[in-house]
Amino acid sequence: MGLSLACLVALFLLLPIVIVVPMSFSTAISFEFPPPGYSLGYYAKFFTSEEWLEPTLNSLVIALGATALTMLLVVPAAFGYVRYRFRGKALVNLLMMAPLIVPHVVSALAYYGFLGRARLTGTHLGVIVAHGVLAVPVAFLVISATLKGFDRNLERAAMSSGAGPLRTFFHVTLPVLRPGMLVGALFAFLSSFNEAVVVIFIGGRGAATLPKKMYESIRLESDPVIAVVSTLLVSAVVLGVLVSAFLRPRGANAA
Amino acid sequence: MAGGLSPAAALPTEVRTRAARRRSPAVWLLLGPPSLVLTLLFMLPIGLVLVTSITDPRMSLAHYQRIFTVPLYTHVMLNTFVTSLVVTALCLVLGYPVAYVMARRSDWVSTLLLTIVAMSFWTGFLVRTYAWLVILGSKGPVTGAYQALGLGPAPQLLFTSFASTLGMTHILLPYMILALFAVMKKIEPDQLKAAASLGARPRAAFAAVFLPLSLPGVVNGSLLVFVSCLGFFVTPILLGTPRDMMISQLINQQIEELLAWGFASAVAVILLIATGLILVVYNRFAGLDRLWG
Repeated sequence: MGLSLACLVALFLLLPIVIVVPMSFSTAISFEFPPPGYSLGYYAKFFTSEEWLEPTLNSLVIALGATALTMLLVVPAAFGYVRYRFRGKALVNLLMMAPLIVPHVVSALAYYGFLGRARLTGTHLGVIVAHGVLAVPVAFLVISATLKGFDRNLERAAMSSGAGPLRTFFHVTLPVLRPGMLVGALFAFLSSFNEAVVVIFIGGRGAATLPKKMYESIRLESDPVIAVVSTLLVSAVVLGVLVSAFLRPRGANAA
Repeated sequence: MAGGLSPAAALPTEVRTRAARRRSPAVWLLLGPPSLVLTLLFMLPIGLVLVTSITDPRMSLAHYQRIFTVPLYTHVMLNTFVTSLVVTALCLVLGYPVAYVMARRSDWVSTLLLTIVAMSFWTGFLVRTYAWLVILGSKGPVTGAYQALGLGPAPQLLFTSFASTLGMTHILLPYMILALFAVMKKIEPDQLKAAASLGARPRAAFAAVFLPLSLPGVVNGSLLVFVSCLGFFVTPILLGTPRDMMISQLINQQIEELLAWGFASAVAVILLIATGLILVVYNRFAGLDRLWG
């Protein structure tokens, strides 16, 4: 009984995601299911309209910028946090975790006011700053966990064999930590790419990302091109999950 | 690696801590700049919300007073709380069997379920909200089936609290399942076998052994879902109704339509305090690290 129940719930999780695929090939001018006919019309529209291509590009640029900022903050912080004992450690941990604890709608309001005063709403820089900070907790969790698992005897061995601190860092420490760092960076990238609250407040016209454009498209115009975007995003997720499932050793956690 | 007899383990603890202490300027070099950036670019903006809530348009606590006395706003608070409870309960009921099967089996079924959960987890909120808009819409499959079966005009599904609750449950369910699964997969199958060998029927073994051991996962998952739900933004706005607003809808409305910065900030502060209180209580009993870990 447990099994059939689990399968039903899995269908509940899966079906709504699958439904966007036939929708994307539809000929209907609004959200109609099942579609009255099939064509590639909305794909053509997506790949030729500035209105959708610009947010797509913005999403990629902003997510890359945010990832860079997140890593710049998190990598030194994780080293300091994991490797040293010092007073106020709990406070530092709380500071690193704060963007995860504060509800996103509160952060959104805060950045709307703060970046507005700095005249940075509606700019790429503004959204990169906000997204870069918001992705700190998840990257910090991944990278400090990787660091905790690192065997420092490897560094001691390198040092005692005559390597200096820098040489040890770049030839021993970094290569061992690279997979963890990459996962941290990937999580930061996805956190920005999928973020849909803060950017709605601060993105304006100048730095609208895909989630913001989708939100506005649903609210204001019911533009079926959103089905194409959804299908492309779902395809990317399916590809990513399948690739990671094959790369991972059996039995490991997929998420 | 021969773990036990490594040279570092042989070092007296005192020597190691003294070495760490000697390099202590490094720790501020490493932690100083990131902490400063987070303080200036996160804590400061949040602090400004707090300030705005009591100074805009003038210095007073009037906004807070309004939130707790005007029926419209107390209704929003209550509605947010109740909706979050309902979504949490739904996620728990739906998520528990999935996590159970995933944890207890180690064959392709478990892998398939995990893949589906991961897919759902990584698909953006907007995509999933859009899907529900199609499913529940006036030209969607539910209405279509209603008419095909000759049941008369279909009820209004979209833009109701039903739609918003359903959408949020669908979006937060993967979080619940993963939190449950993380705890359940650590439960030793031998413990259930031991219960069985002592004569417990499967159902009794489940109730006496598995269920209690899975409770930390239940607490973690419920907390995660409940807290996310309190401040949920996109889905209630797109699928729900302004008549049964949640806190985030109220904040959005106050800013977007009325530019009422002071009042919106006060509502945000209340949301922040509510979330903070829940996490403080959790931290007391379980330790926050366990939630993220």
